[in-house]
Amino acid sequence: MARNTYQSRLNQLEEDVLYLSELAAERVRFALDALEDKDERKAQEVIEGDHEINRIYLDLEQDCIDLLALQQPVAGDLRFIAASFKIITDLERIGDLATNLAQYAIDAENDVYAEVDIRRIGDAALDMVDQAMDAYETEDTDLCRSVAERDDDLDAMCDSASESIVRDLMTGDDFEGDGDLDPETALVDVRRLLLTVRDLERIGDHAVNVAARTLYMIDNDDSLLF
Amino acid sequence: MNGTEDPTNDEMLVETDVSDGLSASANSVSRDAETVISSENINVWYGDDHALTDITMDIPENSVTAMIGPSGCGKSTFLRCINRMNDLIDVARVEGRLTLRGKNVYDDDVDPVALRRRVGMVFQKPNPFPKSIYENVVYGLKIQGIDADYDEVVEESLKRAALWDEVKDRLHESGLDLSGGQQQRLCIARAIATDPEVLLMDEPASALDPVATSQIEDLVEELAEDYTVVIVTHNMQQAARISDKTAVFLTGGELVEFDDTQKIFENPDSQRVEDYITGKFG
Repeated sequence: MARNTYQSRLNQLEEDVLYLSELAAERVRFALDALEDKDERKAQEVIEGDHEINRIYLDLEQDCIDLLALQQPVAGDLRFIAASFKIITDLERIGDLATNLAQYAIDAENDVYAEVDIRRIGDAALDMVDQAMDAYETEDTDLCRSVAERDDDLDAMCDSASESIVRDLMTGDDFEGDGDLDPETALVDVRRLLLTVRDLERIGDHAVNVAARTLYMIDNDDSLLF
Repeated sequence: MNGTEDPTNDEMLVETDVSDGLSASANSVSRDAETVISSENINVWYGDDHALTDITMDIPENSVTAMIGPSGCGKSTFLRCINRMNDLIDVARVEGRLTLRGKNVYDDDVDPVALRRRVGMVFQKPNPFPKSIYENVVYGLKIQGIDADYDEVVEESLKRAALWDEVKDRLHESGLDLSGGQQQRLCIARAIATDPEVLLMDEPASALDPVATSQIEDLVEELAEDYTVVIVTHNMQQAARISDKTAVFLTGGELVEFDDTQKIFENPDSQRVEDYITGKFG
C-alpha cells in the first residue's frame, strides 16, 4: 500500500474521533449520575473536564484541516475526513450538554420535583450516541438508519416528560412536601427540569447528526442529512 | 474563431471529394448534439504491445475532459488517436472507430493535416519555433496556405491565450526569449490560431512553476467556453480543479471509469479507481 504516512494519519484520526466520543459519552454518564445522586463533586468534575474535550476537539479540527490541505484527499478518504470534521463538532456539543446537565445537578440540590425518569431518557440518548459511533467505527449503514429511527422514540419520551412536568406544575400534583409549594421555587425547578429534558433530547439529535454524516461517509448517501 | 457552429465543417477533414465526406457525415449514426468526439472500441497496438483496449467514450463539446492514470496506462496514446498523431509511429496500429462530429477520423478520405487543423495540440514541454512571437502564432496558417488577416489572428489568438498584454509591444522578438509559462501560452496561441474545435493538451503544465501552472489552468477553463479541451495530466488535483469530466485509465490500457469529475473524485464506482486516486496503489 502506498502513502503509508497518510494512511496512518487517517487511522489515527479515526482512533482520536472514537476517543473523543468515549470521553463525551462518559461525561454525559457522569452528569446523569450527578443528577440522580445530587452529587456536586461529580458534577464539578464534569464541568472542569470540558476543557479537555474542547482541547481534543480543536486538535482534531486542525488534524482534519492539515489532511485536507496537505494530502488532498479524494473519494472515500475525502468523505471520511469531511464526515469526521463534522462529527467532532457534534461530539464537542455533546460535551457542552454534559456540562449543562452537571450544572443543573449542582443547582438542583434542593429540587422539589422528583418524578420524571431522567436516567431512562439519558440512557436512551447515550445508547444512540454509542450506536452512531459503532456505525462510524464499523461502517455499518443499518446502524446509521437505526439511530435515526430511534430518535423518534427519544423525542416522544422527552415530549411526554415535558408535558408531565408542566401538567404537574399546573395541578400541583406530585410535588414533594405537603402542598405548601412556593410558586417561585417550583418555577425555577420546573424550568431547570425542562432544560434537562431538552438537553437530553439534543444529545439524541447530535447522535442522529453523527449517524447522518457516517452514512454519507460510507455510501455517499445524504438521505439522513435532511 | 472556431468553427463549432459550422454545419459543413466535415469537409475540412476531407482531402478530396468534399461531397463524399459530407455524405459520410450525414449518414453516420446520429449523435448527441453535445458530443464532439466519440470513441467506439478503439484499440491500439505498438507492435505486439496492446496499448489501448476497447476504449469507448463520448467527449462533450465546450468542456474540459481530463485523462488520468499511472504511467504507461495509455492516456497519451488515446489523446494522440484523436488527431492521428499515432500515424507518425511506424509500429502503431489503430482499430475501432473514432469520430469527430460523426465523421470517422480514420476513414481513408480524411486528411490528417486537415484533421490536425481542427484538433490542435499542446505538448508537455513548451516548444515555440525559433521565430518571432508573431511568426509563431501565424506559422500554422502560413504553411497551410491559409489567407487571413494575420495581424488580427495574432492579436485575437494571443488575447485568447491570455498573453497579449505581456507581449503586444514585442511581437517581433523571439518566442524563445519568453519565460516557460509564456512560451506555453504562446504554444496555445499557436494552436488556436488555426481555428480548431478541439484542443488536446498533453501535460501542458508539468514543466511549469506554480504561478505559470495557475495561469495555464485558468486559461484552460476559459478556453473551454469556446473549445473542447482534452487534457492528459499526472496531477490529479489539477484534473479535479479544472475538468468537467474525468477518464481514468489504468494499467493495461483500460478505461476503467469515465464520469463527471465531481463523481470520480468524491464517489467513484470502481474500487480500482478509488484505490488509484487515493494513492493506495499506482
